[in-house]
Amino acid sequence: MDGPGPLIRLFGLTGGRARPVGKPFELVAIVTTIRMPAEPTELIPEHWSVLKICRKPTPVADVASQLKLPLNITRVILSDLRREGLVAIERPRPVAQSIDERIYREVLHGLRSL
Amino acid sequence: MDYAASSPTVAEATSSGALAIKILIAGGFGVGKTTMVGTISEIRPLHTEELMSERSIGVDDTSGVESKITTTVALDFGRITIREGLWLYLFGTPGQDRFWFMWDELAVGALGAVVLADTRRLQDCFPAVDYFEQRGIPFIVAVNCFDGARRHDPAKIRKALGIAGQTPIVLCDVRERESVKQVLTTLVTYAVKGVIPDPYPAM
Repeated sequence: MDGPGPLIRLFGLTGGRARPVGKPFELVAIVTTIRMPAEPTELIPEHWSVLKICRKPTPVADVASQLKLPLNITRVILSDLRREGLVAIERPRPVAQSIDERIYREVLHGLRSL
Repeated sequence: MDYAASSPTVAEATSSGALAIKILIAGGFGVGKTTMVGTISEIRPLHTEELMSERSIGVDDTSGVESKITTTVALDFGRITIREGLWLYLFGTPGQDRFWFMWDELAVGALGAVVLADTRRLQDCFPAVDYFEQRGIPFIVAVNCFDGARRHDPAKIRKALGIAGQTPIVLCDVRERESVKQVLTTLVTYAVKGVIPDPYPAM
């Protein structure tokens, strides 16, 4: 996306809104699909794509990357899907509560094996 | 995790067990942030939007297009998959001053930061050092040794930057995978020190 031109179309995806609804969520908050609607035709394609991507838990920034949409537009879409009860977005946990010794060792081992 | 007890709605009661660890790569413009992210991780395209300032609205012709209030900014963004459900995400912090507003968003919940330094322009990394010091975000300084750059004395760099004695300073070559691996393992170990007592026996 170069320049603001495509954004005019993109804001159509969000009904012109630039801010997500509900509680804020950060870049690496994990998004998980809760349910897929029986009738996919009820959804715009981007919403359907999110639900497919997030069948495997996926961080917000990665969802944006896979959709090839800017972050804040992705956030608006995610917040809409959350309001509809289709996805869960985990509240960020403090680093101290996220990383225990096991995770730390996994990360170190993973980095060294690259 | 105790989300279920405190959260009334389904949307908040779920916990995937997945964890994305955020690491920032900061430093002056042209110091090698993009190269570093590309050397070690799977590059992911990522854009964000910036509200255009009044001045840039004046410069660009926006007459008659009311919705043209934002422009997109590309971010350095890379993913290292440790296993399914556990990733390191590297975010390069934008170098130009006008993107400072994005740092706060990038910094929230970050495990830590690598401040890349070029000894020919050491002052370029002062703002990043100040930023992470003020917010108590663990950081290390990685000195990118370009071809032909003379060897550098970490003690002198520490003095020039005025940083605390425990902050690691490592010499690296951002084009070399092994070198970048060492930078990241140093950061992760340093950053978890406050969380996990005595992690060093694992080294």
